[in-house]
Amino acid sequence: MRLSYSLSGLAAGLCCAAVLAFGASSGSMQTGKAPLKSAGPMAFGPDGILFVGDSQGAAIMALDVSDRTPARSGGSLEIKGVNDKVAALLGTSADQILIQDVVVNPISKNVYLSVSRGRGPDAVPMILRADAAGKITEVSLENIKHASVSLPDGPAEASRQRLETITSVKYVNGNVYVAGLSNEEFSSSLRSIPYPFTEATKAAGIEIWHGSHGRFETNAPVRTFVPYEIDHQTSILAAYTCTPLVKIPVSDLKPGSKVKGTTIAELGAGNRPLDMIVYTKDGKHFILMANSARGVMKLPADNLETFQPITRQTEITGVPYETIASLKGVQQLDKFDDANALVLIASGSSLDLRTVPLP
Amino acid sequence: MNTDKKPIRLSVFIRVHPWPLLLFLLAALPCAAQQIAIRMEAGAFRIEGWQPAAPPADGWPSLFQVFAGEGDVPAMLGSYSVDGGSLVFHPRFPVAPGMRVRAVFHPPESAPIEAVFEVPKAAAPAATTRVAHVYPSINVLPENQLKFYVYFSAPMSKGRAWQKIHLLDAAGALVVLPFLELDEELWDRDSTRLTVLFDPGRIKREVRPLKEIGPSIQAGKHYTLLIDRDWPDGRGAPLAQEFRKEFRVVPPDRTPPDTATWRIAAPRAGSAGPLVIQFPKPMDYALLQHLLEVAGPHGPVAGTIAVEREETEWRFTPREPWKDGDYRVTVQTTLEDLAGNHIGRAFDVDTFDPITKSLPRETVSLPFRTRH
Repeated sequence: MRLSYSLSGLAAGLCCAAVLAFGASSGSMQTGKAPLKSAGPMAFGPDGILFVGDSQGAAIMALDVSDRTPARSGGSLEIKGVNDKVAALLGTSADQILIQDVVVNPISKNVYLSVSRGRGPDAVPMILRADAAGKITEVSLENIKHASVSLPDGPAEASRQRLETITSVKYVNGNVYVAGLSNEEFSSSLRSIPYPFTEATKAAGIEIWHGSHGRFETNAPVRTFVPYEIDHQTSILAAYTCTPLVKIPVSDLKPGSKVKGTTIAELGAGNRPLDMIVYTKDGKHFILMANSARGVMKLPADNLETFQPITRQTEITGVPYETIASLKGVQQLDKFDDANALVLIASGSSLDLRTVPLP
Repeated sequence: MNTDKKPIRLSVFIRVHPWPLLLFLLAALPCAAQQIAIRMEAGAFRIEGWQPAAPPADGWPSLFQVFAGEGDVPAMLGSYSVDGGSLVFHPRFPVAPGMRVRAVFHPPESAPIEAVFEVPKAAAPAATTRVAHVYPSINVLPENQLKFYVYFSAPMSKGRAWQKIHLLDAAGALVVLPFLELDEELWDRDSTRLTVLFDPGRIKREVRPLKEIGPSIQAGKHYTLLIDRDWPDGRGAPLAQEFRKEFRVVPPDRTPPDTATWRIAAPRAGSAGPLVIQFPKPMDYALLQHLLEVAGPHGPVAGTIAVEREETEWRFTPREPWKDGDYRVTVQTTLEDLAGNHIGRAFDVDTFDPITKSLPRETVSLPFRTRH
């Protein structure tokens, strides 16, 4: 079996091809002020293009952050008190900023942070970049190559108060997938958006259902997900808000379709999956998942497709997992390189951003 | 920061209020360099008494930086200009009230100069923001209640909801993790309404959380939704007072709303009186605002919506008087009751039960004719 992490796999191949491929990806972009109303979940796509979920603007923004210089191997990063440092950069105190997401550029290994300066209605969205030396700079949105696509059911189409909060964004094989949760109806969709964006690009909804033990079905919002590839078939591993972990072949994620994920694990009560990555170590493949209450879990991915779907409520919870005791307080997780993960980790009242060896 | 030379430290404590009126305040008295001083001026930092030439190879930050906060922090983001023969640093954002700011200048030929400014704290804003209403209004909720809408009278701050919202049982003890504590927090655009979802894993049948710890709220018991007074609003002020909503819980409602059970009171032709629809059970307050539409012989009818009687009554008052003729109300089947059951479809569909299988229609049309 061959398994590879889609984004990093892409990245490795892109080191040489980035410049050649770039024209195709950024062709629809315009240069100017990127009108971000909020900066939430992010993901890197091809050629160093950064996708930013803008819940307030009901849009996905693609930014060309001009960061395509491949990193030297063996890098690492540590920024202690990154919340204090970001606040200082922005002339305020740490309780007046929110770090919304943290992602690694798979080409340069620079780290990108989506940040809100302020917590009230006048909050300013920002994208910051941290380099290997720990230096944090602003990615100016004033004059940047960008393209955006509106999510359907935006403010003009429903009520002013209705808002779909974007909880996860990923790029998979030419599509940007967006998970969100409405602040009104529960039956949210997973959105599929072809990239590069064109004027005609629409974010098509896919109904994601959760089949509970062969009997009960719910239109179940996805909280977070990660793409992976097994035997040339790309799937996503998705965590529902009601906690089950499911797999869904990307080929099923067709616009307008109704998809039911296959439950491979149930992670138990009082827990929210926050972030997931897929990686390879010593020839074996694993999923690493950060959770709100149950720490960081490591699941074997080698035989994911052979685990019997959970169809009955038993003591056995599908794919076995272990909890990584050394990783407590992880709030954000991304893959840094083949040997390391990047974590945003709480340490008392401080937040540290650092690379840790993949367990 | 260059620490090779011991800096000349000059501190001035600016005590001017309010903050936007800080103008031309002398920050550092000339000392060793005699003519060189750093002023804080309308939010920018200006070096007086030093004539800048061309920018150094490493840029102006190699000579002049301003730091907000204590400890090992990076210099503030901002830009530089040479204005009236002086080097000026313009912070990317106004320095927040109450911050301590340190400006450090490294003259090429002499010892560094450092000036410290304390930006006055802003006057505490008055605690005037209140919880205006929590929906559902009714105080009898099903065990599988899906959400609360908390309306505030003014915009709130984000990122603190789960520290400030609690559910208490009848004895006043905290219910552990009753809600879906999403970091993203489900606010509206104006930050005046927060949607609080009960943990769907404790609602949905046959998933592990419900099996392990049961529903968040249990039939036959009483609870209190508590919202702390010290939740900062968008200006940083606490709420005017804490908020409590007491309610009693009844068995779960797994019956999809059925429009055939709704009572429509048709308005009189020629009047501008309301069309009134009554529901046998409360419906979702927010969705009632935009999932029902009225159309007549000449197309959509414009008007205003009011939701009354603990969300069991929907009233539509037309902008123009009703005409004699046939009208209809179009209802999106995504309309939910308090337990998230849709029109014609339960929250969690029992696939063994053909009665609750998914209803494919997206809308239901309810015809009515104006009275004479």
